Amino acid sequence: MIELEHVNFAYEDQPILKDISIKLGEEGQNVIGLIGQNGSGKSTMFLNLVGILQPTSGAIRIDGNTYQYDKKSLNELRQKVGIVFQDSEQQLFYSIVKDDVAFALHNLGLPEDEIVRRVREVLTQLDILQLKDRPIQYLSGGQKKRVAIAGILALHSEWLLLDEPTAGLDPDGTRRMIDLIEGLSKNGQKILISSHDMDFMYEIGDYFYLLQKGEIVRQGTSETVFADDEILKQCCLDQPWLMQLHQKLGLPLYSSKAQLFTDEQLITRLATLK
Amino acid sequence: MLSIDKYAYNNLLAKWRPEVKGLLWLFGMIIAFQPIMVIKLIAIPTVAIATMWAVKVNFHQYLKWFYAVIPFIALSIIGIAVTLAPRADQVYGGIYMFGNYLGVAKSMLPLAEQLTLRITTAIVCTYWFALTTPFQQIILLFKHMHFPSLLIEETLLMYRFIFIFVDSFEQIYRAQQLRFGYANLRLSMHSAGILVKMLFEQVIINYQKMVYSLDAKLFTGEFTVQEDKI
Repeated sequence: MIELEHVNFAYEDQPILKDISIKLGEEGQNVIGLIGQNGSGKSTMFLNLVGILQPTSGAIRIDGNTYQYDKKSLNELRQKVGIVFQDSEQQLFYSIVKDDVAFALHNLGLPEDEIVRRVREVLTQLDILQLKDRPIQYLSGGQKKRVAIAGILALHSEWLLLDEPTAGLDPDGTRRMIDLIEGLSKNGQKILISSHDMDFMYEIGDYFYLLQKGEIVRQGTSETVFADDEILKQCCLDQPWLMQLHQKLGLPLYSSKAQLFTDEQLITRLATLK
Repeated sequence: MLSIDKYAYNNLLAKWRPEVKGLLWLFGMIIAFQPIMVIKLIAIPTVAIATMWAVKVNFHQYLKWFYAVIPFIALSIIGIAVTLAPRADQVYGGIYMFGNYLGVAKSMLPLAEQLTLRITTAIVCTYWFALTTPFQQIILLFKHMHFPSLLIEETLLMYRFIFIFVDSFEQIYRAQQLRFGYANLRLSMHSAGILVKMLFEQVIINYQKMVYSLDAKLFTGEFTVQEDKI
């Protein structure tokens, strides 16, 4: 569990995170969403969570231990908390897919056969084994994103932080991202996602934090966070369309598109309208 | 995008052992620098045809790749062959100026010919190697030859980031072009200045992002290069 206690972060006297106290990863919360508009402090919070930035005041704890910022502690922290940044280009250093995925494992100094095993495993898991020998510069945006995620997943970290994972992806890429996150979470992976893609977040998240100008203004499950249209508007965000169907058309609240389109009762009732 | 690089991954010789290709390239260099001209005259078309066959391109495309190097060759050849001589019979096609004759020096012409042949042979052979050898293999070859790891890492990162750099360059250039930034010489100079400035700024910003992700990947200060096992 990651706990933030009265965390403040300021950049050149400009407060970016204000008095944030939350507990990430409580029972039943595998996929946690951090929602907020551009500039609300999501990325800064992520950088604080992986120890790249240090809070101006307050403390962050993982499994009860307060973050230490010496090299050794940070190394241990980053094996527990992996982060995939929004821009794939800046985090792929090798020219061939498999080399890049193996990069962090080499840095850890793992034995060669363990590295081979893990790279194959993670490439298979992300369905990109066929890309293993391909040069990175010729991959599509979605494929690059997968390679970037593979490079971090291979670390087997307890936490996976995804910064805007659907930014720049086409509908197919987004669908694959949803499947991937669901698959990972089923295996017990703890995932923290920052995004303002509301429909995407609504479908995959278990618990949400709404961030506005560096403050957590609302938290809870999808029913509580997305139900308040007013506060979402204040945060310059939209209500997910499934929530809108529920609130504005009086339909039941569906947790996913698939659930809506397979609701036999609804289909029969709609048929009588014709 | 640097499309020339794509051929290295998709050609008939891509799977050949890099050592073999490296040795053949070395052999080509020996041919280029040995003194017998006839061997070079045979080698140039042979290697050129072999390249076009392996890479599956036509002569026209192949010739296009030489456009990039022709100015350099031309300049150096002109620098050697063209000279000012005091007597008209020392040069071909002499033009009288400042009491001397400007033209192609008779004494230098054989040297210029030799040099042209040597350079062309070397380039044709290097193109063959570059077009048939994937980058991965070149790095492994370096490793087998025990090149210093600093050099290998540098090559590795340059290769990876040159594509990102060229991409940013193209994007900015296109955006400027669409807004008539290169309509005349004065505007072109101005736009080129902005282009360089923007590229520089991007390098700084991207550098910061890269440091972050190197941290996240537990970078120890070394980029490992591994044999193909995965």
